[in-house]
Amino acid sequence: MDSITTAASVVAAGLAVGLGAIGPGIGQGSAAQGAVEGIARQPEAEGKIRGTLLLSFAFMESLTIYGLVVALVLLFANPFAG
Amino acid sequence: MASETVENCSSHDPLLDIDSSVLSTEVKSDEYLELQFRVFRLAFLLTIFSVGIAGFFWGIQASASLFIGALSGIFYFRLLARGVGRLGTSSKIVGKVQLLVPVLLVLVSSRFPQLDLIPALLGFLLYKPALIIQFLSMP
Repeated sequence: MDSITTAASVVAAGLAVGLGAIGPGIGQGSAAQGAVEGIARQPEAEGKIRGTLLLSFAFMESLTIYGLVVALVLLFANPFAG
Repeated sequence: MASETVENCSSHDPLLDIDSSVLSTEVKSDEYLELQFRVFRLAFLLTIFSVGIAGFFWGIQASASLFIGALSGIFYFRLLARGVGRLGTSSKIVGKVQLLVPVLLVLVSSRFPQLDLIPALLGFLLYKPALIIQFLSMP
């Protein structure tokens, strides 16, 4: 792998994780805030709120995982390496 | 009259209130555990189905990679569920430990030639169809 490809891969990996984690991070924070507020106001619905929060977190975090996987593939199994 | 007095006493007895709140918390956590078990069961069924299909069409190596990926996806979901279960009680944030699972999966499958990367990643994502089915079947 030549040096330009290596440098571009490392920069792209960093951007993939960094930019890919912004949106899910904001979304997870806002969802957790809403869930904790909901549990505090309505403790009898805690099970349902936690279940919905778990499913929402799994969907949101998969976006981070996509970015992470792209970054790891670029770093450890780069298809553009000579 | 006597029963009315007993009812009045019990409604203001703090000990009884605490007991009922503990009981309702157990019921709520049972509901949450039941949801997790349903998703795990669905994910296991999808894993068995997909591993069989992959083994039939693409061979034992792709099938083994898919199986390892699916197991790590289920483990990832278990860690995420534990983090969400702790939220608001013993922790204020949801931990990020579960994100180490896909990292380790990619590292392991890129280091070992017996494993393929793409089937392992597809297997890891098998928990998502289980989640979608569970989400659609929720009342």
